[in-house]
Amino acid sequence: MAKLKLQINGEETETEARETALLLDVLRDNLELTGTKRGCETSHCGACTVMLDGMAVHSCVVLAGRCEGKEITTVEGLSEGGELNDLQRQFLKHGGLQCGYCTPGMLMAATALLRRNPRPSLEEIKIGLDGNLCRCTGYTGIFDAIQACAQGK
Amino acid sequence: MIERKLVRPESLAEALGQREQYQKDALPIAGGQSLLVLLRNKLIDPKILIDLERIGELRELRSVERKAGGMMIGAMNTIYNLMSSSEVRAAAPILSQAASKVGSTAIRNLGTIGGNLCHNEPGADLPPALLALNAVVELRSKKGTRKVALGEFFRDYFETVVAPDEILCNVEIPQLPAKASGVYLKHAISSEDLAIAGAAVVVVLDGEQAGKVQEVRIGLGGVAPVPFRAIKAESALRGAALTDAAIREAAEIASAEADPMTDPHGSADYRRKMVKVMVRRAISAAIEQSERNGNGEA
Repeated sequence: MAKLKLQINGEETETEARETALLLDVLRDNLELTGTKRGCETSHCGACTVMLDGMAVHSCVVLAGRCEGKEITTVEGLSEGGELNDLQRQFLKHGGLQCGYCTPGMLMAATALLRRNPRPSLEEIKIGLDGNLCRCTGYTGIFDAIQACAQGK
Repeated sequence: MIERKLVRPESLAEALGQREQYQKDALPIAGGQSLLVLLRNKLIDPKILIDLERIGELRELRSVERKAGGMMIGAMNTIYNLMSSSEVRAAAPILSQAASKVGSTAIRNLGTIGGNLCHNEPGADLPPALLALNAVVELRSKKGTRKVALGEFFRDYFETVVAPDEILCNVEIPQLPAKASGVYLKHAISSEDLAIAGAAVVVVLDGEQAGKVQEVRIGLGGVAPVPFRAIKAESALRGAALTDAAIREAAEIASAEADPMTDPHGSADYRRKMVKVMVRRAISAAIEQSERNGNGEA
């Protein structure tokens, strides 16, 4: 076992985990940050997407031991003062979710995309979300929400 | 159960020492985007992972630099770096193009050029482009350094010539002829999938004789145990007039050079047929690009 010092959603956290523990397991099992979903566990579905130093990553293929000294952001870190942030509200408004299982990953992938490219075209949004699967919405509500957020509507 | 260990060397010398010490008990981990999936699926069971992330020499963006006569790309440069680096885009646009086709955004953010090559999964996107670029990889061990042409690097499905004490440190890309143009085309069911057939084509049109090709290189992925150059198809085109018939003939030859497998994404027969289509399209697209850039008329 190894002691891990992680910076998550702006707070320093300490936990103990196996040396080769995955970030997904540490977030959910050690830290009870269960907003991050366990999906395929093989980096295909994107349900476990979080941001690592502002980049979208699939936490099922990230060693937690590598995250020390880096800023981790999970879906729990998006709300502002207990209120949903603009992107989250746009997901609600545009029907960007149904069962909700992909939603935390979608939000994190979209947040990372908007950081890298604040005014993405529809094509760029599709590429930004190419690692995130949704089986309910048909994606259009998600694309609309991200575009609305980018346009500040 | 013995707990798997993670060692995190700070320098290449330290990492090479650990490679020498642990041999087959250890595997180097680069971006981890493939390796951690293999671990999860219990397809590999190394006792130790040697994390290459802290080794600046392999990782820093400045190791992507134009050298006299080409580029040196440190093995830990991410796929995203290859896509977005203005230097790579200028010197080897076909590599940026292939990088943009790898997996998904999250995978491209962490996956590396060295990991992509060493994993050697059929249908990977970088190998065909790097083969068409005549890339050479630099392998280092405590005993020394050897350079291996990429065509000699891949041995079999998921196997390369990297020895248990070695680390792939750099990928060297010789400078392309001034008038070269290159295109990578991928056929896959979904954009984040591996290629059912991937074709990378670099052409250099003949400056003196209109309609002829001075040099053509065809790298193929997903259609044989290892990525390879379709050398018979290349020689059929070299010096030939670039008619539709000649391009179709070359694509036919490339298809015969393929040795594909059947898997859930496509049968061997289907893959062979797709080689023909992808090679034809890639050659035509590379010629068109060359003409657009004003590098002679086909």
